Amino acid sequence: MTVIDPTPRARTSDVKITLRGIGKVFPLNKTPGAAPREFVALSEINLDIRRGEFLAIVGPSGSGKSTLLDILAGLAPINSGEALIDGRALSGPDLDRGIVLQGDSLFPWRTVRKNIEFGLEVKKTPKQERRGVVDRYLRLVGLTEFDNHFPHELSGGMKQRVALARALAYDPEILLMDEPFAAVDALTRETLQNELLSIWEATGKTIVFVTHSIEEAIYLSDRVAVLTSNPGTISHIIDVNLPRPRNSGDLRSSPEFGRIRHTLWQLLQGREGRA
Amino acid sequence: MSTIPAAATPSKALVSLARCALLLLFLAGWEILPRLGVIPSTTFPPLSTVLATVVDNREFGRHAVTSTARAFGGLAAAIAVGLPLGLLLGGWFPGTRQALEPLMEMFGQANPVILSHIVVLFIGIGTKTQLFIIAWLSIWPIAFSTISGVRSVNPQLLKAAGSFGLGRWKLFTAVVLPSAAPAIITGLRLAAGYSFIMLIAAELMGATTGLGYVMATSAETADMKSLAAAALTVTALGVATDALLKLAGRRVVTWGYQGVTG
Amino acid sequence: MTEMRTMNLAALHNKLLRSSGILFFLLLWETASRFTWVDAYFLPPCSTVAAEIVRLFGDGSLVSNLAISSVRALGGLLLALIIGLPLGFLFGRRLVIVGEILDPLLRIASQVNPFLVLMASTLILGFGESAKFFVIAWVSLWPVLFYTTTAFHTVDPYQIKIARSLAVSETELLAKVLIPSALPTIFTGIRISAGITFFILVAVEMLNATSGLGWLEHNSAMNFEIPTMYAAATVIVVLGFLLNRFLLSLENALFSWNASSSTVTRSAVREEPKPVWRPNRGAAMTAAAALALVFCAGGYELRKVNAERSRELAGPDLGKHARHLGSEVRK
Repeated sequence: MTVIDPTPRARTSDVKITLRGIGKVFPLNKTPGAAPREFVALSEINLDIRRGEFLAIVGPSGSGKSTLLDILAGLAPINSGEALIDGRALSGPDLDRGIVLQGDSLFPWRTVRKNIEFGLEVKKTPKQERRGVVDRYLRLVGLTEFDNHFPHELSGGMKQRVALARALAYDPEILLMDEPFAAVDALTRETLQNELLSIWEATGKTIVFVTHSIEEAIYLSDRVAVLTSNPGTISHIIDVNLPRPRNSGDLRSSPEFGRIRHTLWQLLQGREGRA
Repeated sequence: MSTIPAAATPSKALVSLARCALLLLFLAGWEILPRLGVIPSTTFPPLSTVLATVVDNREFGRHAVTSTARAFGGLAAAIAVGLPLGLLLGGWFPGTRQALEPLMEMFGQANPVILSHIVVLFIGIGTKTQLFIIAWLSIWPIAFSTISGVRSVNPQLLKAAGSFGLGRWKLFTAVVLPSAAPAIITGLRLAAGYSFIMLIAAELMGATTGLGYVMATSAETADMKSLAAAALTVTALGVATDALLKLAGRRVVTWGYQGVTG
Repeated sequence: MTEMRTMNLAALHNKLLRSSGILFFLLLWETASRFTWVDAYFLPPCSTVAAEIVRLFGDGSLVSNLAISSVRALGGLLLALIIGLPLGFLFGRRLVIVGEILDPLLRIASQVNPFLVLMASTLILGFGESAKFFVIAWVSLWPVLFYTTTAFHTVDPYQIKIARSLAVSETELLAKVLIPSALPTIFTGIRISAGITFFILVAVEMLNATSGLGWLEHNSAMNFEIPTMYAAATVIVVLGFLLNRFLLSLENALFSWNASSSTVTRSAVREEPKPVWRPNRGAAMTAAAALALVFCAGGYELRKVNAERSRELAGPDLGKHARHLGSEVRK
């Protein structure tokens, strides 16, 4: 596994998340008579994610991107290797991480406000405090007038904003995002991307962003990890040295953007597994 | 979203095996426990005795046939009335549908015993009454399900088909009917279930033939064999009809049938 | 402003249309009887029946029988909920394989003819309240069980994932995610159960009781008190209809956040989203109080009437009742 990473290795104290030799297998249904089979979803994943970094993970479908995110969230056990957050072993889900999913994952029976409050309830934040926090995040995602609406009254883009606010409200240090803008139309996606970047710059959180779109990965992140399938491994990590803020001018048309895009495209083409 | 294969779960085969085992256990228990006297055999005759009554007793057979004929007759009448009614109201006459729906809902509340009292006043006791009672309650689920099915046809489909220049009738048979088919079949299954319930009720209320009658008389004379036999036959008939309709439904609707009752 | 008026006009027009069918039917009934197209002895005019209903209401027998029927229905339904809800949760989430194995057997059990169950339980439990109670509970159980199982089984896994990512406890998951998510479907099951319960209750009372609305109808039929029979029948039918409608609108109001659910009626399509009704404490307390009242009043009424009837039975005049209660007398 080669790493195209010209910057010197980060100091250990800068590293937020460490993954060493992570492996994940799924047992498959037994066919009678045959030996029990396994599907190797991830194998020998090594990754250091720095504090406050925006890391994107790209890969074809079936490469285990979501599985990797599940592992980071503490929702999937590891079969081999170790995962550390702040130097401590990762053991299950916790309030230091927040997750935003692709699909409609809001609680339909709760209003926007109550959805955002969910994490605060779990965190056992006192009731008086909650209102203020929720108000703050409503303002952040620009949905203050919709606080008492229900998810089914919102558009796709608005729902994802609420999902984002919900994940941010209890102030996790790490944000894990699994193709959150994939189900949203192109125009709204661009808006959401910019909003995400400003939120990131304002809050300084560590974000791991899974996507199958190379362009999105480059636009948003500091580094892009390429995940290949069969078995899933990180084949390359590319540094994205584009200037910030990314939304100034038409960055996507710049030659630098195109160069990085081409590099990633080649990497994905050459290493395609079954995709 | 994820193409990771499904984790290992107990296979379908294992579940089916367990179900068969359970069924066998149940049947065995029914046979053995009364014989051993664990359950009083006077109240719960062993399975073989019950089956013997069903198979050997010629009179019982006649009753069974009568009942089945009534149930299916009533159901057929219900379909003959309910289905066209549902199609017309659902597809063609929205105004009339709106006006009649509350009334139909009321009619659907008609209890067999209430009905039998009223109908008997006019037609007297007899097969016609039985059929009427059985049919009456079954008409409404069929009508409502049909209306619902017709109305819930995806308008995109109609648009697409219309662009082919299909006439109204062709549109109906080629697009609306198949779209509405799952709902209609669900309505049929519901109605079939109701017709068997009404059958027994109607026969209990004053028939001189049929399985309901057998149940009533054998209850009075504490003839548990006949009672159990009648019960078994009625239940088997109901289950078989439902299963048949479900199967027919799968045959007719080959594209992801999702019945309400599963 | 004109928009609102056209909307109100449209709503009014809609209401008129919806009631026209029933009104037409009532009109037909009245004229058919009054003009003796049908023998007025067998079908008294609608107005006569209405008057009879008022009379029955006045002398208390309607309310009394209604209370008795209600307490039977509620009792049976309650037992069904106590058994069906936890069992549905188990089969839906914890013992899923067991649920799958048992499913065909349970489905067959649910299809056993309720009248059959009535006969069986009467034979075993006698003519008392317990047989009726058992039958009603049996009949109510199945929709509750099946719908609850499905409800818990089909909770959106994404939402569970979100909750789990916050390391919620199992109890929190149940309370905050599983139950709210499953509630609409569970309620549908309860609604269907209530309809079936009411239906069977009345039938059971007709065949196997000495009190209640069903008994009222049956008794007056046996005694050829035709207007009373029609009065009772009408009350039963209207009650069933209202019950169903009430539960439907309750379901719509409580769960209108479930935009894709099939209970959202298509007839009155409104463009603006319906407000979700969140019952506050007041409403919940009122409902609880109402239920408690029905239970107490009905239970009291039931015991009183049953005591009266058994005193009557102990008397010499058995003629009318012999056909129904023959076996008990023989016992």
